[in-house]
This record gives sequence, structure tokens and C-alpha cells, in this order.
Amino acid sequence: MASWYINRTFFFDVHPPLGKMLIALSGKLSGYDGTFPFEKPGDKYDGARYQGMRLFCTTLGALVIPLTFLSIWEMTKSLEATFIGTLLLLCDVGFMTLNRYILLDPILLFFMSCSIYGCFKVSTLTNDGLLPFSPRMLSWQIFLGTSLACTMSVKFVGLFVVLFVGLRTVADLWNILGDLSKPVKFTITHLIVRTLTLIVWPFVLYVFFFWIHLTVLSKSGNGDGFYSSGFQARLEGNSLHNASAPRVLAYGALVTLKNHRTGGGYLHSHHHLYPAGVGARQQQITTYTHKDENNRWQIKPYNRERVEGTVVVRSGDLVRVTHAPTGRNLHSHRERAPLTAKHLQVTGYGEDGVGDANDVWKIVISGGKDGEEIQTVRSKLMLVHYLQACVLTTTGKQLPKWGYEQQEVSCNPNLRDKNALWNIEDNVFDDLPKVSFESYASGFLERFYESHAVMFQGNSGLKPKEGEVTSQPWQWPINYRGQFFSGSTHRIYLLGNPVVWWTNLAFLIIFFLVYIINSIKEKRAEAFGVSRQVGEGSLLLNAAGWTFIGWALHYIPFWAMGRVLYFHHYFPALVFSSMLTGILTEYLLSSVRSYLSPELGKTAYHCIIGVVISTTVYSFYLFSPLAYGMSGPLASEPNSTMAGLKWLESWEF
Amino acid sequence: MLTNKMNHSPSRIYLQLKIDVIAIGLLILALCTRLYKLDEPRHIVFDELHYGRYVSLYTKGVFFFDAHPPLGKQLLYLAGSIAGYDGNFTFDRIGTPYTDNVPVKALRLVPAVSGSFLVLITYFLMLELSLHQWTAILAALLVLLENCFLAQSRFMLLESIQILFGLCGVYCIIKSTKRIGLTALVWLCAAAVLLGCCFSVKYSGLYTYYLSLFLVGRHIWLQLDQIKSGTRLLFSALWRFAVLLIIPLAVYVSVFYMHLSMLPKAGPHDSVMTSAFQASLQGGLASITHGQPLHVAHGSQITLRHTHGRTCWLHSHAHVYPVRYADGRGSSHQQQVTCYSFKDVNNWWIVKRPDQASLAVSRPPDAIRHGDIVQLLHGITSRALNSHDVAAAVSPQSQEVSCYIDYNVSMPAQNLWRVDIVNRDSEESTWDSIRSLVRLVHVDTGSGLRYSGRQLPAWGFHQHEIVADKVLSHQDTIWNVEEHRYTKADDRKERERELVTAEMIPTAVTQLTFWEKFTELQYKMIAHAPDAPHGHMFASEPAEWPLLVRSIAYWLSPDSNAQIHLIGNIVTWYTGTISVVVYSALLAIYSVRKRRACEDLPPFVLNKFYETGYTLFLGYWLHYLPYFFIDRTLFLHHYLPAYIFKILLLAYIMDHIYLVLQLHEKTKHVTNLFILCVTIWLSYIVLTFKKFSVLNYGNVDLKENDLMSLRWKDTWDFILHKKI
Repeated sequence: MASWYINRTFFFDVHPPLGKMLIALSGKLSGYDGTFPFEKPGDKYDGARYQGMRLFCTTLGALVIPLTFLSIWEMTKSLEATFIGTLLLLCDVGFMTLNRYILLDPILLFFMSCSIYGCFKVSTLTNDGLLPFSPRMLSWQIFLGTSLACTMSVKFVGLFVVLFVGLRTVADLWNILGDLSKPVKFTITHLIVRTLTLIVWPFVLYVFFFWIHLTVLSKSGNGDGFYSSGFQARLEGNSLHNASAPRVLAYGALVTLKNHRTGGGYLHSHHHLYPAGVGARQQQITTYTHKDENNRWQIKPYNRERVEGTVVVRSGDLVRVTHAPTGRNLHSHRERAPLTAKHLQVTGYGEDGVGDANDVWKIVISGGKDGEEIQTVRSKLMLVHYLQACVLTTTGKQLPKWGYEQQEVSCNPNLRDKNALWNIEDNVFDDLPKVSFESYASGFLERFYESHAVMFQGNSGLKPKEGEVTSQPWQWPINYRGQFFSGSTHRIYLLGNPVVWWTNLAFLIIFFLVYIINSIKEKRAEAFGVSRQVGEGSLLLNAAGWTFIGWALHYIPFWAMGRVLYFHHYFPALVFSSMLTGILTEYLLSSVRSYLSPELGKTAYHCIIGVVISTTVYSFYLFSPLAYGMSGPLASEPNSTMAGLKWLESWEF
Repeated sequence: MLTNKMNHSPSRIYLQLKIDVIAIGLLILALCTRLYKLDEPRHIVFDELHYGRYVSLYTKGVFFFDAHPPLGKQLLYLAGSIAGYDGNFTFDRIGTPYTDNVPVKALRLVPAVSGSFLVLITYFLMLELSLHQWTAILAALLVLLENCFLAQSRFMLLESIQILFGLCGVYCIIKSTKRIGLTALVWLCAAAVLLGCCFSVKYSGLYTYYLSLFLVGRHIWLQLDQIKSGTRLLFSALWRFAVLLIIPLAVYVSVFYMHLSMLPKAGPHDSVMTSAFQASLQGGLASITHGQPLHVAHGSQITLRHTHGRTCWLHSHAHVYPVRYADGRGSSHQQQVTCYSFKDVNNWWIVKRPDQASLAVSRPPDAIRHGDIVQLLHGITSRALNSHDVAAAVSPQSQEVSCYIDYNVSMPAQNLWRVDIVNRDSEESTWDSIRSLVRLVHVDTGSGLRYSGRQLPAWGFHQHEIVADKVLSHQDTIWNVEEHRYTKADDRKERERELVTAEMIPTAVTQLTFWEKFTELQYKMIAHAPDAPHGHMFASEPAEWPLLVRSIAYWLSPDSNAQIHLIGNIVTWYTGTISVVVYSALLAIYSVRKRRACEDLPPFVLNKFYETGYTLFLGYWLHYLPYFFIDRTLFLHHYLPAYIFKILLLAYIMDHIYLVLQLHEKTKHVTNLFILCVTIWLSYIVLTFKKFSVLNYGNVDLKENDLMSLRWKDTWDFILHKKI
């Protein structure tokens, strides 16, 4: 990806651009020239200077640890809790593996940790009663806003951290509101300042990152096809760049029609018939994503062969569309389409433009009024078949071999088909003045909007295929199965440190129980007047509650996602989960300690802490080969060095 | 409502008769609207297609598979069988006229009566939520005058039954939380039964169940600071949850028990189920596999079925893999092995021990056991099942599986497979037909024979790909023997003839216990991914529902423009949507005011606002939100369970506004104005209801301009016959 930034060629990816831009920047600074192809995992870096980029990612990944330390400290002010929580994260092999390579995840996790830290810092400052406009408060809020924007611009999962910070902010405001010694105005000032720093400012930054992205990538590349004609006109080297064509469509013009769906092709036909058994044996009509002479069509009025002079085609006109190279008319009739049973077949029919009444189409501008002029590129057209009342559409399904694996074109009786929109791209007509395509090129906001639409479509398009092994959310917290990172001789396998993960899992459940028991106790104590001292315990439990919310926010939404999921999606949740374990350990230990005599309590406390620390560190030592690379036979064979560590059948290292 | 109360006093006997006039009135009105010309149109309307078909199958006792639970269909069947329906009508497509032997009226009566009682239960539920009687009447009227409930309850559809059960359940729950002791228990049991029925009609009834769990949970939470004794508290919590968990589950299981015992015969959906399940039905596979030998032995002729997921059998045919695939990779050019979804003579394989040459089964048969190594010969071509280190055609990460042809190149046969019986009782288990689930592990590479889920291109006749995969634990590696017989002749020609002509003599029946069947059916229902007709013309998105963007066309008369649509009463619909917004806004305002210690409302008003309002508000979102995460074609009728809560919330908001107006001296005189507004609004609802009811009864021929005048939103699509 970084190569493309450095070469400034345009590409398409489902994630927002900031992470990739940062990697490219680090690559550029460390002298990487953007020539290495990055084809598949396991390829050797032959002389490419990748170390700079890797160093950059790893540094960010490493910084997550101190940031987590600071966050827990900010929440609990308890050194033990902070230390254990951070240690768990530090000793997790999977976390380390993920942060060692040129991936988006370390960057994401870094910004996410910044946000968490900022968020709790702001909330501490608020509790200290700092005024909304005091410089310290303001600078921390801007820091928080910036981190949020960065998180969002690396991957869309950043949205969950935005939600988390949002909840935390609402809770802060709620606390301020509950302070009856302060006027309501005070809360409102806080609200306004937070809206500015945490909503407006990140949004501006986010748009700014996209602006950089779209400005830097000014050359045509392999991602072009995903975007509309207007978008392509902006890219150097694309055939639409600096081209010119008449502004409006006139009868007799030679045009190409591009489908408006994302990645849609050009309306296409060729000298081949539909095979026997697939509707009528007439000429095939398809969509084709490449530019080709066979994409050219001529627009004629429905009743005459040619028109004298220049007559502009208007929305609502009845037209015939003739395929220029073969002279067949675009035609549809009551036969089922080759692949989609409910649609009608579309064929090329007739001889040198002479066909029958089924060749008549009504050309309509979507959302426009009758009589509007049809414009090149700008107008979104629908071609409605006059007799069958269906719209020309493409289903996006690939035709079999007889159709050269181009895409099916059909006529849909449901006029609300989203894929039935077309626009005119090339427009050859000599009698009209030409305008440069520059004028059609979309502005920044349009392109911003379009790239989002394409990204979301790309994201939701990542569906698992039948029979494919995909990672499922329930497998993640129990560390059921990992993910291969690198090839066969020097293997790297992304898998969490089971000791850390299973402890985390246990503590999630323990937290749930502790929380319920505690609230029942509290409620009953309140009602029946038994006094309970509120002290450090409640602070810890409160902090644990917030980390639990953070964990749930970063984990539960994945259950509802239809797209392909990977193991590494769990790592943001892991950060929260480790924090929770740290805090809860301290909470439980100090409650146990309060039941014991001071002398015994102290001893037990230190013993347990010692055991926790040493187990964690030792398990890290055991599993570290997963991250640093293993060689030799697979662990399923008994003579492997890792044989003893295959604790679960499903691990594949 | 009728209450008979016998008062035994020493001298006289009193018979007190109390009649709730309002309730009776509402019920009569509802019955009138719902039952009016119930058997018209005498055509199949929308999903009557499916439900009618299921009723026919119930009548004949033929097993069918459906992803929804069976109670609703059983109720329809009950009505049908009382009216004497013989099951001889094929529900082939929407719009087909019914013949005289279909008791349309009886079949439609169940939903229609449920739909009428729905009006009644809203009335009682609103009373129970301790609102004014007028509010309860208003709520009931809104439900009565709602076109979508009318349309949904006039045909053989299940929503009205489901909603009725659900609301009754919620009603009983609320009753139970207000009582103590035995009465509370009785109400709770009733609620549990009703809720069990609710989600046995449709799984979306589970959301009502969750709502009830929440209500009971809240009740216990409120008791925490009222009951001093810890044990009593624990006890009250325990029995409540025990009742709420066990009874609905028991109802659900017994509904399935009835379902399975009502359908003993094999039918069209058999192939969805495993071989063992099919063999337990009368006819169908059972009649074929009846009495085939149990133990697979050396020389057995078998068909191997892919057990879980897609139904297909291990298959091979006299065609080879193409030398080069479309993407340029090479293949072994050996005979194709595929998974074929239809019965075919090419699905037969012969089990052979590698060291024995003769294929005839010895006496006694030499049974294959767990861990034995065998070869599998394809029956027709006599080639052995083989795998080797060549990438498979469509899934290159796995190994290719082929039938070995000796080309005399340096590629030796690797045709030994280890039989790994997954559900074995002991290490010595024999390989049994139908019952044993086996994994065939390739001896040389340790990979398992697996169905990959992908289709082969045209050269493989679009059959499904078979590979050998390193990951053994995947459920697609599991196979079972379906048809099975012993080879008698040793000669190849003879064997082929035997294959083509063989018939079996039945001797014993396969039996499955209810629990085995039940768990299998549940598993299949969960795993069943409907081949959704994506882009159905009247499908809609959850986000479009609150604004009634789309309607659903249920039926169009073949000879006039009379038609039936599922469409809401748009006035109620929009005010309902507004009421949700109003409630959220009020909730926010009241909480913020309370936080600032401003008490605007007396505690009882505020309490009701939280308790009643919250129940309805939560009910609405619980029934609505989940649909955003469902990846299926959705229709407007999925919104109805949520919508009824919205209507109740709407009535509550009216009540609340009235109360607030009453509270202050200044606004008191506005009350009359408010009542006037509500009356006008209500009469407007009546008018709209009347205007759109032609789309519910479907008995009036509509002209083009009639339709245009009904088309209040340009996203609504009505259907017009083309003039000829």
C-alpha cells in the first residue's frame, strides 16, 4: 500500500487512509523507493528497505504499553493494579506479534491507547474541578480529539473507541450537572467546549486526512474502476483526464454507457449469440469493465434513422440504441434472462439498425423532470423498455464461458433497481462544441462522499464464502485458533499467550459476578441502614466497570457483523480486558486482605502478587517462539520443540 | 368479560353477573371488522401459499422442514381438520383460486379471531398498566382501526397469533408482579405457558420473552430493599426464574413432540435431514434402506452421504480433470471425484481391504472397524479413490481427490484411507450403515476427505468439489453410509449389473428417539440459511419501517384491480413514531431536571412515567432493533410486533400529556382543547382507516384514479392491470 503513496498512484482499500499514509511517510523518510510489489506473505524483501517502516510500526506498538500504564494509573491511582494490568499486556505474545510488522493494527492500537489515556485524563481533570476554558483542560481535550480523529482515520473500528469516549464524556457531564453548587450554565459551557474539541475538531481533522489522501494520489492506478466517471476525470493518466466531449447528448452521437453501480462496467455487445437454451438466440449484451471499441452505441429517435441538424436528446424521449460496430439494436422481450430468472433477457436484434417495436426505450433522467437535456457524465440515466416496462440493468453476475465471463445485462420489471442507473461517458458528436472533462470532475466533497460509499460497499462486500473456514467471535476470547503470519520455513503464528487470555476471560466473568453482588449489597445496605464504608474499593470497581464497558464495546458488535472476521479484530478489546484483570486483581486482593490479620494479610498479598508476576513472565518466555519465529517440524509432530505447548487441538503452529 | 360469582350464603344463592360493556363492545367491533366476508377473496393470498401447504402436509402426515417453529401451523391445521379439510389442494402460487374442498373460512378463522382478541387484550393490558379507562379504550381503538393488523389477521398468517400470545404473556407477568403468594405463582405459570406458545409460533416471539424476563428481573430488583429476609428474597427470585425458564421450554419441546409425531411419513424435504432421520420416516429412504445389512464389510457396496450441511453423495464419473485450469495451474489429469446432489448410479463405491483381491463378501462378513485401512473402488469405473499432493481445482489450499488412473508417470497411487468413526462407542466399533459418522483419513498425507462447499466449473458439470484437507475437525469431513448392500458376484460385469438392477429386501426399521430427532431438527433450523429471494419487489429495510416507506402487495384479483396490501394506517403510524421521539425527549428532560433536583411532577406521575412508559418503550425497541442486524430479506410484517408496543406507547403519551395538563391550574382549561384535538385526530384515523380498508378486504374494483388517490406516498407501489 505504501508503495502506491510513494508512487502517487490511485488505489482502493476498505480502510481509511491515515495508517497507510503514516507507513508511507516512514518508508519515504527511511529511503524506501516504492518498487517492491508486496504480493503475498512470505515473500523475501530483496533489498527493499523495509526496516524503517517496520521500526515505525513497532515503535508505535511498543508505546501502547506505557500508555496503558498511564491510563490505568489515571483511573485507579493504584500502582499494583496498574502494574499487573500492564504486565499482562506486555507479556502477551499475540499482542507483540501483531505489533512487530508493517500492519495497520499497531497504529490503530497506538491511537486508541492515546484516546483512552486522554479520555481518563480529561475526566480526572474534570473531577478536580478545572474550568472548561483553562489551558490545561483545553489542551488535553484537543489531544483527545486529535487521537480520536486519528483512530477513526486508521480503521473504522475506531468508531467503537469514539463511542466509548462519548459515553465517558456523557458520564462526566452528568457528574458536573449533579453538582448542585454550580449553576447550569457551567455544565453548558463544558458541553459546548466538548462538542467543539471532541466532535467538530476530530471531524475537521478526519476530512483533512482524506484531503491529503486524495491530493497525494493524483495518478491513475488499478483502483480506478471502482469509481465514477467524474472521479476518474481527476486522475492523471486516466483516459478521462484532460479529455473533452460535448456537454449534452444529441441524436446520432456515438456514446459509451457506464453503469452507475460501484465497479460497474460499460454496456457492451459483440458478434456472438446467446447459446441455444438461453432465451432467444440473438446477439449477447453484457457489461465489460475495460475500454473497447465494442462499447460504442449510437442514439437514434425511435421512428427515424437519422435526424437533420442537431437535436438534443431530452429526458422522457423514446429512443433506439444501436450498437455501432454490429448495427444491432438494444432489444428486450419476454424471455428470462440468462442468470436471473425474474428478469427479462436483453439482446441485440435487427439488421443495420432496422428492428422491431421491442427496440424502443424511454430514456429518463433519474430524479429529473421530463424535457431536461441529457448531459454527458452528469446525468444519471434509466433506460425503460417501452413495451415491457422494465429497466435496463446489470445484475453483476458473471456469465459462463459463452459470455466470456462478462457480466449479465438484463431488464428488470422492478423499476426501483439501484443498479439500473447509467451515465454517458464518451460522447462523440462533431456539431456540438466540446467542453473539457475538467468541468465534470467532481469536487473534493463529492469525492470524499464517493470514496466513503465505495469503502462501505467494499466492507460489506467482504462476505465469507460457503465452506470457507472463518474466524468467529466466540473463538476469540478463548484463544481458540490463531492466524498464520508467515510462511513455512520460519513460521510466525499469531496466537495470544494462553495464560494471559484465559486469566482475562476468567476475570471478565468474575467481574460480572462481583458487580452484581456488590450492587445488591449496596441496595440492601441503603434500604436497611447498614453503613458501608465507601473507599478505595468503589473507585477500583468503578474503573473496572468502565474497562468492562470498553471491552464490551470493542467485542460485542462483531457478533452482529456479516463480513469476514479475523482473529486480530479482538486485540483492541484485549487491551481493555487486560486492564480489567489488573484492576480486579487488586480489588479482590485488597478485599481478601481486609479479612485477614495485618501480618498474615501482608504476607499473603505479596505472595500472590509474586506468583501472578512470575507465572505471566514465564508463560511469555514459553510462548515467545510464536512471535519470534519457529522453525523445524510442526507442533503436531512429537519431535518438535513446540510439541509440549500445543495445549489445544485447534492450534496449528 | 363475564364473571360468574357464586355466593354461598346460608339462606339464598346469589348469582351476580358482571359484564364489562366496553370490553364486549370492543370485541364485537373487532370481530365484525375481522370476520367480514372472511372467505373473500377465494384465492391464495401471499404467504398463505406456505402456511396452506404446511396445513395440507399436516393433514397427510407428511414430514416437511421449515425454519420456523410449528405451533402456528398446528393451530391452522386444527381448524382445517375440524372443518374437514382433506389436504388435497396444491398450493402452487399466489393468486390461484381455492377449490371447494378447502375450508377457507375455517382456516382463516384462527388468525382472525386472534386478531380480534388482540384488540381486547390491549384494552386489558393498558388497564393493568394502571392507566385511565379512556386511555385503554383509546389504545384498543387504535389497534382496531389499524389497517395493517386488519390485513394481517384476515389471512392464514401467523403474526396475529404470535402477538396475541405475546401480549397475553406480558399481561399475566404484570398481574403476577402485583400479587403475592399463590396468585402470583398462578399468573406467572400462565404467563410462562403463553410466552412459550408465543415463541413456538415464531422465533421473534423470543423478544417478548426477553421483555418478560426483564420485567420479572426488575420486580425482584425492586423487592431488594423491601424484603428484609435474605432467604425469602432468594427463594422468591429462584422460583420466579425457575418457572420462567422451565415452563416455556417444556411448552416448546412438547410442541415439537407433537410436530414430529404428527408427521410420520417421508416427504419432499427429506433430503435436508440426515440419513438416520430419513430412515426413521415411513416410506422414502426407509423403504430403500430397510433391512440393508448393518455392518460395512470388505466387499460392501455403499453410497457415502455428506452428513452435515448440503445434501450430496460422493460421486465419480468417467471424466478427467482438465490438464490446465482457467487460472493456469495444472492438474493430475485423473478421473474427477465430486459431490453430487442427486441419486445416481455413479454414487456407488465398493469397500475393499487392500490385501484382498476378491470383492465378494465372505461369510460371515469381514466387518470393517474403527481404525481399519481400506480402499474405496468406484462401482462403475472400478477405479480407486486417491489423493495426492496436487492442489485441488477450486480450493488450491487443499489436496486434489481423484480416482486413480495409472498413466505410468512418476505418480504412484496413494489410495489407502483410514476409517475414523467419529461417534464410536469403543475403539473396536464396527462401521455401521446410516448410524456411523465416519471421517476418511488419507493414510499418506493425514488429510481428511472433505466437501469444500465450492462448485466446479462447467468441466465438472457444476457438481461440488471434493478435496482432502489438513484440518480434520471441520464438520464437512464427516460422511455416512446411506445405501448399502453386499457384493455377491466377483466378476466386474456382473457387479455392474448388480449395481444397476439391485433391490433390497427389508428386514428391520431404523429408530431414532425423540430427543435425537429434536436436536437434529433444531440444529438444522439454526443452520438453515434460506436461499433468500434477494431483491424481492416488496422487501424493505428496518430503517424504512417507522416511516412506512413500503407496503407489501398481498394479492391482486385476476380480473379486476381489486387488491390487497399490507399497509398501515398512516395517521396512527406517524403519530406513533412521533410518540417514540416525544417519550425519549421527555425521558431526557425529566432525568436532567431531576439531576438538578427540580421536582416538576408528583411522584406517582413520575413513577408511572418510568414504569409503564419504560415497559412499552423497551418492548418497542426490543422487537425492533434486532432486525438491523439480521442479514435476510425483511418485510414490513416483521415490524408488527414492535408496532403494537408503539401504539400502546402512543396511548400512554396521550394519557401522560392529559395528566400533566391537569396538574397545573394554569393549563387546566387547555385540557378541553386537548380532548377536542384528540377527538379530531381520532376521527381522522377512522376516515383513513375506512379509506384504506378497500386494500384489506380486496372486494372493490379500483379504478386508476382511485388508486392514485390512495397513493399518498410516491414510494408506495400499487398494481394496475394493463389495459388491453
